[in-house]
Amino acid sequence: MKTVEIRNMNKRFGSTIALNNVSFEAYEGEILGLIGENGSGKSTATSIYAGMQKCDSGEMLFMGTPWNPSSMNDALKKGVGMIVQENGTVPGVSVAENIFLSESQRFKKGPFVDRKRMINEAQTALNQIGADHISASQVTAMLDFQDRKLIEIAKVMANNPKVLVVDETTTALSQKGRDIIYAIMEKMKKENGTVIFISHDLDEIMHVCDRLTVLRDGSIITTFKKAEFDEDAIKTSMIGRELSGSYYRDDYGDPAGEEVVLKAENLCHTNQLDHFSFELHKGEILGIGGLSHCGMHTLGKVLFAAEKCESGEFTVYGKKVNTIAEAMKMQMGYVAKDRDTESLNTEASIKDNIAIAGLDKFAVSGFLILPGNEKKYVQKQIDGLSIKCTGADQYVSALSGGNKQKVAFGKWLGRESEILILDCPTRGVDIGVKQAMYQLMYQMRQEGKSILLISEEMAELIGMSDRILVMKDGALKKELFRSRKLSEADVIQYMI
Amino acid sequence: MDNEKILKREKLRRMLFSFAPAAGLVILFALFMAFAIAQDINIPYSLKNILNQSVIVIVVATGAIFIYTLGSFDISLGANMCVSALIGAMVYGRTESLVMMLGACIASAVIISLTCSVLASVFNLPVFVTTIAMLSLLNAAVLMLIGANGTGDIIQVPAEAVSSINTIQFKLFVLLAYLAVCVFAFSFLKLGRQEKFMGGNPVCAALSGLNNSKLAICAFALAGLGVGLGAFLTITYAPTLSRNTAGSVGMDVIISIVFGGMPVSGGARSRIYSASIGALSMTLLSQIMLMMNLNSGISQMVKAVIFLLVVFISMNDGRKTILPR
Amino acid sequence: MKSFRKILVLALSFVLTFTLAACSGGGSSEGGSSASEGGIDDSKNVKIGVLVADATGAEALAFRSYYENYIAKQYNVTFMYSDELTDAAAEASAIDNFIANNCKAIISFASSDRPAQIRKCAENKVYYAVATGTLSDEEYAEFKDNEYYVGAIGPDLATEFQAGYDMAKFYLDQGKTKFAIFGGATPYYTDMHIYRTAGMLVAMCEAGGGTYNGASDFGSMIGKIYEMNCQLEPAKIGSVEVVSYIGGYDFDDAWFGKLAEAANNPNVEVLLTVGSGLDTFAAFKQESQQLATVDSYTSDAVAAMKSGVLNYLAGKYSASIGPIFMATLSAVQGKPIRTANGEALALSQGYWVATSAEEAEKFYAVDSSTEDPAYTRAMLDTLFGASYDDFAKFVSAYSFEEIQNLKK
Repeated sequence: MKTVEIRNMNKRFGSTIALNNVSFEAYEGEILGLIGENGSGKSTATSIYAGMQKCDSGEMLFMGTPWNPSSMNDALKKGVGMIVQENGTVPGVSVAENIFLSESQRFKKGPFVDRKRMINEAQTALNQIGADHISASQVTAMLDFQDRKLIEIAKVMANNPKVLVVDETTTALSQKGRDIIYAIMEKMKKENGTVIFISHDLDEIMHVCDRLTVLRDGSIITTFKKAEFDEDAIKTSMIGRELSGSYYRDDYGDPAGEEVVLKAENLCHTNQLDHFSFELHKGEILGIGGLSHCGMHTLGKVLFAAEKCESGEFTVYGKKVNTIAEAMKMQMGYVAKDRDTESLNTEASIKDNIAIAGLDKFAVSGFLILPGNEKKYVQKQIDGLSIKCTGADQYVSALSGGNKQKVAFGKWLGRESEILILDCPTRGVDIGVKQAMYQLMYQMRQEGKSILLISEEMAELIGMSDRILVMKDGALKKELFRSRKLSEADVIQYMI
Repeated sequence: MDNEKILKREKLRRMLFSFAPAAGLVILFALFMAFAIAQDINIPYSLKNILNQSVIVIVVATGAIFIYTLGSFDISLGANMCVSALIGAMVYGRTESLVMMLGACIASAVIISLTCSVLASVFNLPVFVTTIAMLSLLNAAVLMLIGANGTGDIIQVPAEAVSSINTIQFKLFVLLAYLAVCVFAFSFLKLGRQEKFMGGNPVCAALSGLNNSKLAICAFALAGLGVGLGAFLTITYAPTLSRNTAGSVGMDVIISIVFGGMPVSGGARSRIYSASIGALSMTLLSQIMLMMNLNSGISQMVKAVIFLLVVFISMNDGRKTILPR
Repeated sequence: MKSFRKILVLALSFVLTFTLAACSGGGSSEGGSSASEGGIDDSKNVKIGVLVADATGAEALAFRSYYENYIAKQYNVTFMYSDELTDAAAEASAIDNFIANNCKAIISFASSDRPAQIRKCAENKVYYAVATGTLSDEEYAEFKDNEYYVGAIGPDLATEFQAGYDMAKFYLDQGKTKFAIFGGATPYYTDMHIYRTAGMLVAMCEAGGGTYNGASDFGSMIGKIYEMNCQLEPAKIGSVEVVSYIGGYDFDDAWFGKLAEAANNPNVEVLLTVGSGLDTFAAFKQESQQLATVDSYTSDAVAAMKSGVLNYLAGKYSASIGPIFMATLSAVQGKPIRTANGEALALSQGYWVATSAEEAEKFYAVDSSTEDPAYTRAMLDTLFGASYDDFAKFVSAYSFEEIQNLKK
């Protein structure tokens, strides 16, 4: 039986057509995958179905009857839950309060809230999804991103939804988190529920889903049945053309330069870095891998002088670097993992974002900004990186994830950075842009630039790095060299 | 409708929103003229009066825009201006030199302003916190200065001493000179770009090599210059100074800046012209309501309603949220 | 686009609504009586600007009500009120506003810089008058011959001194000897309050047979207060004692604490206030104590008299600003009232003193009336173009009874 049915749905955001006559359905006992590039309309369509926003026109059915939820909460109460891509918890309140955010009435005891009962029920909800390591009485702000995501999952599952939408959630989770979600999805499938699963990870989606619907530019392109799953065919339908050339770099045995451009010795930082030492060479892509909390993200910040280490030191071209301004003078650049907060000012234009790091590059006498120079400087990056936008004055908040990341790259490429620290540079980016970024990184390597590639994606590390340093608990666990034979299992064994 | 048309419409809408404050000023001016002609009021005197009443707020608010752009604010602007004017008047009393008085006004205002930002930098506090502390200090300083140097509860500069420069020409000269400095710094120097970026996202700005403390110090120095000039112009307009001098300036500055279309949170959409547009709009609005002889309660209510409307428009400037994808 | 248009339309509607409201509300007196017998030209509306330093106080509202709800309905005049003016720059701006709006005269209740106000008005040929106040001797000497300076009518400093003196004497005569004084704006060098305080102290010196820090009469007491930088202290004055003294309007915890402490002192018999008695001592007063103040006749003050919270009220009456209006209108209409030497008015006017609830109620009934106030049009018309002597005689008969007699 059809549980979800969407017919001729349209939605527009200003000048952007987000959904163009989209129709699809999902059945009981099925995991339906939705895949498409950034901005293809996957999240928009499902968020409308889950009551987060309204469509401009179209029809929706749930279990064969018209479906028009007034809010996410309303949808959840009636059987459709959604785990969103962004953070959906309130940091300042307890885990239990987050789980029962809209249901505090249920726990009323006279004028007060029966906190004990609320915490007990919340703990049960957490235990049921296998997140028993989280205490329901804890303040949410104390938890990391993954645990906060698990709280959202527990909140949704506590309502026993018939339909569950999982939007781009797994990319932010460790294997444990992913396993929890996979288990929930399997359980729902067995119990005749429906799961709509959105992910950029083609391997994952092909593995998990029963059918796969592809969206591109707000329209449905095609739907694959499990038997028809073929990686190339799916990729082609997603980006509307065949991916030419290699996805990762395909050279082996091309050595990096001898010259050491960055040298770190015995870096220590709280429990994030433990006497960590390494060297980065000219023309080298050095991968740093590990579990999310192994300290690799802190390493990126320390090397860009954004955080001070307690002991140890690092030098760039033999010189100590104390401030970010000094690091930039030494031609370093840093693309942070948290793109929207740390890498970009989303409430500013593309021009502002790209120009800000390169003011000294185009300012006359180092201080005078001539609009013409600035425009030229920015346009070069927009063209070079093929940033899809209406113009340099477009606000970054209006760009898709991939294009945002291109702007973050452009900021540092513009000032011709020689050493780039890239922290999860392809997180939340679709495969078309991903491939472009890999090609760009390789091109930079060939130009003699050095890249420190911090990543949680094994395939990316293996596919792109000359060397991989595997970190565990802040310490260097293993150094692995580029090889055709290197497998994910080879890397993972040192991470866990 | 094809995409091209939608795009054009979108661009037009954005343009409309960005010109809304200026359009508001034009509408208010048209309304003012309509009333003025209908009521046969003294238009030349009235226009001069509008400039007279706006000049000081424009000067102080234009400087303050550098602070607001950073996403910060200075609650002690009015008190700073009062102290600077008192010091300026005292220096005049000792030297009988207008140049020395101007110098004293500017020097004291800049020093007070810089103290706020330097203290914030040293103690690693948000700047507005130090401005709150500074407000108390300055209020105490006002009482001390008046007690020590005044006659009764005032400090005076002889009216005839400043009458020669209490002209609209002189005020416009000061205003335009200072505006030129601010527009140049805001639009053509690294400082302006960096401040806007810092105001929009301090974390990202820091990771782009920008130094919040240095920017705050520059912003407060420029704002201090404006306060100093404002103090000087206040003495020329009304040379009797009391502890209430410039009492309403702080609020007028905030209202003008917001009225001129400047986002309260600063950042990329900050505009240096906001203060001028806002201050003139506010004065025009006051004049219109005065011509309508509304009592001050109603006129405050009208101002409040329009203020809310302006904030509402500026916060919904046509950039619709696009969902995370 | 649509929403922008909507907002614009909304904004314009607001402005237009208020425009229409104002147009329909204003000009109530227009088309009224034409030139009256006394020679007042009612055919042409006269705009008069009013400068106020207080826009919300009970006394200020009572004055405003008299002008707007009585005078403006009786005569073809429009009053334009300023916002609350707190400094000289605000006063200058307000005057500029009035001049731009063709005001022919300005009546001032604001005193940050009176000389500057007069100069600005005279430069622009606008008549200027001081209501409920006076100029200092030096100021009067400077402006008395200026044709645009109409003059000042209000309690002069001698009257203020007398008000303080009478208040203290009222209780000293009853044998009270222990006082607490609230000195109001004395620490801010406000003359009016300094003189009232001095009056109280002189009365105590006379009754107690002592001195206050060496001063005992009018001249020496004023000098002493200034010598003390207007920061007074409790003191024994012969057999009389100022048990506690509080000045200023800090409105902070320490200030309220001092008020409470003074009222809680079992020795204190009488709480004397130079002003704002209801906002200061009233909240802390013990039943056995007496509270006296200089204030205005408001419903709150009368209620306080009735409940026994307030026992002595020297109050300005709202119609007291009628004569200065008429002097101003006379000047605007070409019949200025000047002394024989052509000098501007400088007349003193005192308070209505109520020592019982009945008296206070009686005063309030007349004072708050917009139909039959203390000074009616018929009474004021006699002042139009009057001689200085007649005018001065009228003003000097300010007690409640005298005014009632004038009415007859």
